[in-house]
Amino acid sequence: MTNNLLEVSVFEIAGSPFCVASDDGQKVHDRLAAALKAGHGVRLSFHNVTIVTSAFLNAAIGQLYGEFDEAQIRALLKVSDIAPDDVMLLKRVVETAKQYFADPQTFAQAIQAVQGGDGDD
Amino acid sequence: MRIALPQLHHDQAGFDALVDLWAKTEACFLDVIELDLSDATWIDADLCAPFGALLYALGERINTVKLLNIRPDVERALTQNGFLSIYGRKAVPDRWGTTLPYQQFDPKDDRYFADYVETKLIRRTELPAMSSALLKKLSESLFEIFSNAVIHSSTEMGIFSCGQFFPKRDRLNFSVADLGIGIRRNVTETTGLTLDAAQAIEWATTGRNTTRRGAIPGGLGLKLLVQFVDLNGGSLQIVSDAGYWRRENGKSCIVQLTRPFPGTVVSVEINTADQQSYVLASEVEETDIF
Repeated sequence: MTNNLLEVSVFEIAGSPFCVASDDGQKVHDRLAAALKAGHGVRLSFHNVTIVTSAFLNAAIGQLYGEFDEAQIRALLKVSDIAPDDVMLLKRVVETAKQYFADPQTFAQAIQAVQGGDGDD
Repeated sequence: MRIALPQLHHDQAGFDALVDLWAKTEACFLDVIELDLSDATWIDADLCAPFGALLYALGERINTVKLLNIRPDVERALTQNGFLSIYGRKAVPDRWGTTLPYQQFDPKDDRYFADYVETKLIRRTELPAMSSALLKKLSESLFEIFSNAVIHSSTEMGIFSCGQFFPKRDRLNFSVADLGIGIRRNVTETTGLTLDAAQAIEWATTGRNTTRRGAIPGGLGLKLLVQFVDLNGGSLQIVSDAGYWRRENGKSCIVQLTRPFPGTVVSVEINTADQQSYVLASEVEETDIF
């Protein structure tokens, strides 16, 4: 799988070295989710990205933990060209997302929100 | 109606003066409000963000606001950052290169805010030198503050920002204000917790607490900001509803204000002489993220 990874460029999607908008994160998420749903491995490149925020990463990657198994994400999703401090931030976003979706009440609300078309409050 | 405004410093007393102004004017409709600034010997420029937010809210109620008897020093500062242009003064260049201009954004303006940070902070060569690590961390923090306002305030009346460098003190002050629902109401509506406004801010800045509900997780923005300020040696103030919260030297304190602010203000003071790398020793491998 990892030999045949799809490439998704964060810079290309955001159109800027500043990946700060939750809406842009949502666009990244939609591409990742489509690939993961199809069982494809993806390499998410942060090449040329200079600033990312937790809001962007929560939308792009954090919400994947409400839709896919942790093992599935670990097997299929790779990142590259990411700055060391941004890796730290991404790790925190991932840990927070795991805890967020591990709470059944929150998860139920999340499902309800998605079904109701409210993906982001 | 004529109201005297005192000096406005970037502290609790400054915010007290602003919420007092709001308490005196919030009922005004189709009115002329004259603000007498003859006693305002100083206005910290970043406070133009919450001040401008209040004046915008008054304008939404079809009031005319006039700023009278502005002292020369204050007039110079608030003209250079563009604030007084809104109230009929001629814009003048920022001679010392120390202002981050007063600006109003729509909640959908993430990209304009990014452009503002890039052109007014990151690429401004005349600003006091900061290490590249600090500049990156500071920019991230400003984006986190803006995102926080966008995501949590539910504001329809915009987001207001303004900043000021103090080169001799190695300090940069930056404030972002919104006219949204405020932290207390947000916490109550999403968690059912009954907290006063100051307690609600404390709750929102602590541990894993988040008001986020739905498919996208959250709850990191304010904590990241607190950690940055603690490491940097700066300070952070949040005013929301009648709550005032301050973080400095790794400690936070809360105070209940006598009057509410009609939204939220996040105000940060950064030590611009900070030379830390901000990359921790225990770095995470790219293969060990998920």
